[in-house]
Amino acid sequence: MTAKKYDRPTYTVDYFKADTHRAHFFDNVMIDNLITAVVALGAEVWTNRQRQEILEALLEEKGVSAEMIEAYMPSEEQREKWKQDRDAFVARTMHVLAREADRKTSYDWPEELEEVEGG
Amino acid sequence: MLSRRDMAVMAAGALASAAPSFRAEAKGLGVEVGLRGTIGTYERLPQLRVESELDYYMSYRTWARNDIWRRAARRATQLFEEKGLNPRENDIPVREVVQMLEHDPVLAMMVHTRETTQQIMYRRLQETFHADGERLLDEMERAERMGPGTIELHPDMHIPDFARYEIHLQPGGYVGDPFAGHIFYHSLNVEVPHGNYQDDAQGRAARRVPAPADGKVRRILDQGCSSGQLVVALKRKWPDAEVWGNDIGAPMLRFAHQRSVELGLETHFMHELSEESRFPDEHFDIVTNWLLFHEVPESSGRAIIHESFRLLRPGGVWFPMDNYTAQLPKNSAYEKFFWWFDHRWNHEVWTFEYRKLALDFENEMRRAGFEVAYGPSYGGMNTNIMGIKPA
Repeated sequence: MTAKKYDRPTYTVDYFKADTHRAHFFDNVMIDNLITAVVALGAEVWTNRQRQEILEALLEEKGVSAEMIEAYMPSEEQREKWKQDRDAFVARTMHVLAREADRKTSYDWPEELEEVEGG
Repeated sequence: MLSRRDMAVMAAGALASAAPSFRAEAKGLGVEVGLRGTIGTYERLPQLRVESELDYYMSYRTWARNDIWRRAARRATQLFEEKGLNPRENDIPVREVVQMLEHDPVLAMMVHTRETTQQIMYRRLQETFHADGERLLDEMERAERMGPGTIELHPDMHIPDFARYEIHLQPGGYVGDPFAGHIFYHSLNVEVPHGNYQDDAQGRAARRVPAPADGKVRRILDQGCSSGQLVVALKRKWPDAEVWGNDIGAPMLRFAHQRSVELGLETHFMHELSEESRFPDEHFDIVTNWLLFHEVPESSGRAIIHESFRLLRPGGVWFPMDNYTAQLPKNSAYEKFFWWFDHRWNHEVWTFEYRKLALDFENEMRRAGFEVAYGPSYGGMNTNIMGIKPA
């Protein structure tokens, strides 16, 4: 609940709550959820990027120029750490793209699973 | 990529956030305006990260409109043609149209781009304003004490059920959240990209509002004024006139009044239903409204037309502005789907009732007593009908 109560007049009245939070527009609700998560991640990326641009603008006022950032020469130790971080980042975010699913969901319960369950 | 100039503006805003307050320049009133300052008439959101998020959703929505929504229209056409139907025909029932299109992934994506951003954006705004709730309530109360201008609130008035919905998914609607006006105002920046930050769209609307033939403009009413941006624009167009806005949502009016005070404008706000106004007969020279009719039931819409006639002095002008007022186009089958999802999932509860009224709008105006004329068109909204009260 994001709305709070206040100890003074707010001139509000009761209302009818919309039900769109219960809706899914794709046949599989998880597709809706996945796209929503991607969109929300995009907002986070842009928010951080804009903040970074402000920081760079402020740094430039203090004498750290964009050229200095471009020309920054990392140490061998930094390069190795960044490589590991980058590879981990790619694996973490992209590994799902390699998933090979061969079973379309259906109402029927596969026989082999029945056997396993019985065992 | 942001330009250096954009960066300078943002950096100035970031520095302003360190200051405890920002002072309105207008008329040297010394009114405190927000925490992060203003850009023109736009009061910045309390946090940079929320401002950035809304900026992103505005861009995402614009991209979706220009790309996915067009693909969806083409996909709908393809689906109709596959069934041997003419997509430009209007006689396919809505239910059939919906059943034909709602499972297609391209159309689902189109709906998702709209409804998901609505929900995320509104949730973020509501959280933001309630996190700062006590200060924002202080600001509204202070504006109510000092003016310029006035606000008349009626906390005990009956609020009919039709006004209690979460229209277009705004949390609490116009009546249920203390910061409904704040939320609405900032959400419009996403909804009307590049048209709301400096009251641009409202300024364009005000420029089209016609004066009575005798040129006398002493009092103006904006019905259902919401965040009061058209009231501001009307006051700027007619600075010597007494300009009023009314609305059923008290939190909307409180925000509108506070913002007007901060802009140094003497405007007035009345808490009331537009169809049951407290003002006497023949009180106004101009009565207008902007995007009001699609948010009320058909019966209220008809009542508002008659009430507007009562409020105008002889020779006065009524100028309603909404999508297709009195000029409802013959919808294609795809447009029916579009309006249906806007109605059902964007909770534009009264969309279809408005579309019924729109077909009889001019007749209802004549029944109320208006002489009907067609004035300057409001760009993009295909509406230019006006009513003149016979002298």
